[in-house]
Amino acid sequence: MTARIACFYVPMFPLAARLRSEPELLHEAVAIVEGNGNSAHVVAATRRARTKGIRPGLSLAQARSLLPKLIARGRDAECERTAQEALFEAAETFSPRVEDAGEGVVYVDIAGMNRHYDNELDLARSAMRAADGVGLPARVGIAASKLAARVAAELPKSPTVVDPGKESEFLAPLPLARLTPQLDAASTLRRWGIGSIGELASLPESEVASRLGELGRELHYAARGIDPRPLIPRPLPPDFREGMDLEWPLVALEPFLFIANAALDRLSKRMELQGFACKRLELTMTLEPDGFAARAIDLPAPTRDVKTMLTLLRLDLEKAPPGAPVVGFTLVAHPDRPRRAQLTLFGPAALSPEKLATTIARLVSLLGDGRVGMAMAVDGHLPERYTLGDYAPPPPPTTRPSPEKSRGLLAVRVFRPPIPVEVHTREADGETHIAAIQGEGDLSGSVRTSSGPWRVESSWWTDAPAAREYWDVELEGGGVYRVYQGASTEWFVDARYD
Amino acid sequence: MSVAAPDLDWQFQLLDLHPGRPTPTLVPPPPPVEPGSALDQLRAALDPGVAGKVRSGAELLRRTQNTQPTAIIPTTLAPLDALLGGGLQRGKLVELVSRRAAGRFSIVLSALAAATSMGETAALIDLGDHFDPQLGEANGIDLRRLLWVRPRNVKEAVMSAEMITTTGFQLVVVDVGLHPLRGRRAPDAAWVRLARTAESVGAAMLVSSPYPLTGTASEAVVKGSVARAQWIGRGRSPRLLAGIEMTLTLEKHRHIKAGGRSAVTLLVPEAVESSSRRVAEVPVRTGATLLVDSKTRRPEDSP
Repeated sequence: MTARIACFYVPMFPLAARLRSEPELLHEAVAIVEGNGNSAHVVAATRRARTKGIRPGLSLAQARSLLPKLIARGRDAECERTAQEALFEAAETFSPRVEDAGEGVVYVDIAGMNRHYDNELDLARSAMRAADGVGLPARVGIAASKLAARVAAELPKSPTVVDPGKESEFLAPLPLARLTPQLDAASTLRRWGIGSIGELASLPESEVASRLGELGRELHYAARGIDPRPLIPRPLPPDFREGMDLEWPLVALEPFLFIANAALDRLSKRMELQGFACKRLELTMTLEPDGFAARAIDLPAPTRDVKTMLTLLRLDLEKAPPGAPVVGFTLVAHPDRPRRAQLTLFGPAALSPEKLATTIARLVSLLGDGRVGMAMAVDGHLPERYTLGDYAPPPPPTTRPSPEKSRGLLAVRVFRPPIPVEVHTREADGETHIAAIQGEGDLSGSVRTSSGPWRVESSWWTDAPAAREYWDVELEGGGVYRVYQGASTEWFVDARYD
Repeated sequence: MSVAAPDLDWQFQLLDLHPGRPTPTLVPPPPPVEPGSALDQLRAALDPGVAGKVRSGAELLRRTQNTQPTAIIPTTLAPLDALLGGGLQRGKLVELVSRRAAGRFSIVLSALAAATSMGETAALIDLGDHFDPQLGEANGIDLRRLLWVRPRNVKEAVMSAEMITTTGFQLVVVDVGLHPLRGRRAPDAAWVRLARTAESVGAAMLVSSPYPLTGTASEAVVKGSVARAQWIGRGRSPRLLAGIEMTLTLEKHRHIKAGGRSAVTLLVPEAVESSSRRVAEVPVRTGATLLVDSKTRRPEDSP
């Protein structure tokens, strides 16, 4: 099968990455500058700034003299890294074999994808749309080699498709600068009278190699459209990251959450592209003047719901504020496969795993930890024992069974914690009876009938043994309660029969 | 090869190159249905007492749907199901009110047990944090299908209930605990909104409270009263709690005449597991048996 490579190329990548994080700047005159002080120079500018004469290479002072209202932003390594990651993931939706070439360039092996698209032009247009979906205006070129694909992607009228076997013809009329922008041997070749890629390719390979060494051999290969090394796909990252270096320190929670919301939204979209959901969210904040604050939030179930994740983040930050102004942050989402369920036509309706995960996460954010889940019975003798597990209901039966007939059992309402009461006892016929109990509210009154005691001993082999004597009492005013006397001789009501 | 003929049979005969092959026949058209007879059939499917009261087509349709088993989640407590016309209707909010009389929580657990035994997912919003998983399991609740939520006040309980209902749970039970309630009472509008949510997703909702909370939002209100404890043992012999008996009264129902009463007797697990000899020893005070009493009296039957 003939190799076919698609190249995603984002022009002015530092600017595109910044605009992805701050989309409100898209229609402003913005320049991305590199360096500090007098050495600060423009590396990219928006269309509005370019129409006023702002060009890459100008110093910041020169640029400001041309356009005093120019918005200058420094290069943001975190923004560029996450933008590159997003571009990579967009490319990964087309093929698992993707190479990350950095600085807004990604190569995708698209061999065999003609089954899914009518032609390669359609594929290239889909690729541009996918990159647009993650907020990056990418150009796409398709050719048989990485170099030809990259040169095709750099052309202004995107997408460009180079037919198989026509790479040499495509490259031949282009200037040598297209081959490698930072070409040291350009001046040497110009002295030889060589100005285009085609002229270099027509020279004998051995002659070029003997004069320019290994660099000359590689250049000759490239000029003929042959890659010096094959495409090396990158394995899937173990997590998804989004972050930002802030222009000024943030001291309030709301502005920070506003920016975090946008970052979470981008994270959610990236995970959706891969079919993942977030199971654990980590936040690292860079503090002023120095130091970091990190925290991790374990989600009760994998979810991509931004509102839920933001609420959990808010609760966590309110509980433990960072304690210093925040000048940057990184959000790391650890992915997990969302739960799936097979629905049934004839049985009871099943819950959507995605919706259930979101609901549970929201409930946890509303009520706090340990208040939502599946109740689980625990072995033991003390009545108040219980434990809470993750709620993951089994799939519903394929047919709708009839309900089991109720056993008509009398239930108890457990009081957590038990309520201390004062108990008055009386002796009659050599037996002890409870005459009255005195507590708060309805838990006071004379006892009509009492029954007991039943001794419960538990954990006698541990440091916290429990030895209790239980009684059932019916009050004159109504209500049947379960009371017990502990080892400390104090009395408690631990349940009401209801 | 194609042929044209005025009749379908003729087409097949002309196309058939091999004589003797059976000629395909068309499925005969269904017989014409007279609107009157269809309505009569539907009416005949209803209980005669109900069919006589149906006056409009919409009401007939609703009554017919109510008779379908999937439209109702029974509590499997026969006296309560009889009062509610079969059980908890999907898409409707039923309120169970009882302050002094015991048995309200037992009914809640019975409804949850019935729903989960049918394979439905159910949620218990337990405001008072009263649920005992061991006892729930003994009651027949499939704990794997039960979501246990423990809010801290009424507002959180209502918000949780709304979230859970929209997720698709088929039975949502809000038990607000005992008097006094934790936190301020929710406004009537909150219950109306909750009832509409349940209606829109077709979930059955049961609100268990010490006094009426839901106002006009509820489809039915059942009040529990006159709870009496049943004790095993008499004279000087030691006592053993066997169960309680309570009376349920249908205070309100949008489609069933209010005022119906029935008695329910609930047993402690030990009494159920004990032999029939022990049950026979129970001093029966009201004439009811210790098993679940399914007798239901209409108000006109009562003296």
